[in-house]
Amino acid sequence: MPGAAPVVNARLWILRTFQKPCQSRVLGPFRIGRMAPALEFENLSKEYRSFPRRCLRALDDFSLVVEAGEIFGFLGPNGAGKSTAIHLAMGFMRPTHGRGRMLGQPFGDAHARRRVGFLAENVSLYHRRAERLVRFYGALNGMGRTYLAKRAREVLIAVGLQEQSKRNVGRFSRGMLQRVGLAQALVNDPELLILDEPTSALDPAARVMVRELLLAAREAGKTIFLSSHLLSEVELICDRVAVLHRGKLVRLGRTRDLLHSSEKTEIVARGIAASAFPEAVAHDGVVSFSAPATAQRAVLEQIWSLGGEVVSVNPARRSLEEIFLEVTAAPGPADEKGRP
Amino acid sequence: MKPVFLIAVNFVREQRWPIFVLLLWVLLLAFLGLFSDIPRQREDLLFVFKQVAVYVIAFSVFFGGSAIYNERKSRRILAVLSKSVARYQYLSGLVLGVTIASGIYCFALGITGSWTLGEAGFPISRVWFLMVCLLLACMLAGTVALMFSTFLNPFFAAGATAAVLGLPALAGHGIATQWQYAIPVYPLAAIIMKSSFQAPGVAFWPPLGLAVLETLAFWVLSARIFSLVDIAVAVE
Repeated sequence: MPGAAPVVNARLWILRTFQKPCQSRVLGPFRIGRMAPALEFENLSKEYRSFPRRCLRALDDFSLVVEAGEIFGFLGPNGAGKSTAIHLAMGFMRPTHGRGRMLGQPFGDAHARRRVGFLAENVSLYHRRAERLVRFYGALNGMGRTYLAKRAREVLIAVGLQEQSKRNVGRFSRGMLQRVGLAQALVNDPELLILDEPTSALDPAARVMVRELLLAAREAGKTIFLSSHLLSEVELICDRVAVLHRGKLVRLGRTRDLLHSSEKTEIVARGIAASAFPEAVAHDGVVSFSAPATAQRAVLEQIWSLGGEVVSVNPARRSLEEIFLEVTAAPGPADEKGRP
Repeated sequence: MKPVFLIAVNFVREQRWPIFVLLLWVLLLAFLGLFSDIPRQREDLLFVFKQVAVYVIAFSVFFGGSAIYNERKSRRILAVLSKSVARYQYLSGLVLGVTIASGIYCFALGITGSWTLGEAGFPISRVWFLMVCLLLACMLAGTVALMFSTFLNPFFAAGATAAVLGLPALAGHGIATQWQYAIPVYPLAAIIMKSSFQAPGVAFWPPLGLAVLETLAFWVLSARIFSLVDIAVAVE
């Protein structure tokens, strides 16, 4: 396979980008006891106040625990409060009520941020050469010069910018800028990666690369908190997802549990007419349709009574998009304090 | 200390064009020195020197007053404060950055002033004392502006700074001279403005010490206010 070598090389670079948490060069060796949650939001509320008496509640009694070592998808429509929650975790804002911890430290703790990588939505960076920029952000985390130089090269290779490392990021496209943003988030080999829309400006190839990077990070024991509107991507890589709507958590669970509906069953049968069941589709001699799980037995008996044969019975699989639309279409929690 | 220094150097790098424009004023003084009859036009040279010196105080107010606003508006502050940088370290970096930017100017002016005014008979040690006064005045003015810029936009921050720096000067003239030392930017500027070939003056250090102490006080106040500010909220 002529194209296999570059792919394998890229994969190796990605894996080398991450070290196991106990090997971190930034932090030095440390003991791993029982892993504390990576992120904890405890009854957090955030209200934005503006003159004269307007008040917008962006987060309302929001609680969530993100366990160490998982890829966590954080979903919600625009204005749901996702970025607000992330900014509170990073210490960019102070909550109106409640509290939270990041890597065991209260939100806003500068020392805890040394073990965190963050990529903001619509990333904005200083106009410098890409490699120097990544080194600048690494140095802010207290990284040593020699290790930082090596590390900056590694992460730029990992995000596919090795050819552009000497170019000024002011001349980069939005997608390239997002990749440099990712490189600066990875440079300190973080235990926790907080990514706010990391692939929104990327082309499909770059998205695949970022996906590989995130999966490699999880393999290395890192935690990833991913806010995204790209539901198909979240569905592919996230272990758990939470859906936020109008500042409230409206759905939380393991991705595979959410995608498998317990309410409906997908039935495939042969030897019957498609017209025998509503919404049934015939294809290559088999008929497939979904039925309520409660009526499963009756439907199977009906197939047999019609002289048909049951090929398979499975819980219906839903897409994350369907779940998202379902939970965000309903009116959000009552908010008498100014939300339109 | 390393993040503070990095933020300061980065600030100077970001402000390199305004600093370059400021240095053109120093170049003007150098041209005057080159193409004028220094002994005969020494009063004109001193006048230009004083004018060029006090401009930088106004510039340090603009540097300090716009630093946080620009960083918040461009959202570049998020990437910086997502690292292991505490808010007070970030502010310290900006104070140091404003001081370095002013220091570059003061150094260039000191070199040019030593050459032009020194040749006209002005004591060179006095030129450098004036530059120290100028630098400390810039540092204090920049820190006051930075303090206001933590919660005001640059226009209002500059106005508020002008009021805070100007009111003690007015009180010094109207009520009692001691009032001008409340915020000693005006007395430091006055030391420069009152210098002459006839009476270059003697080194008077108390306002300088006071400026250092007040810079520290305003820095502490700025850090306290800035720690309460929601920096991710869009600025107007």
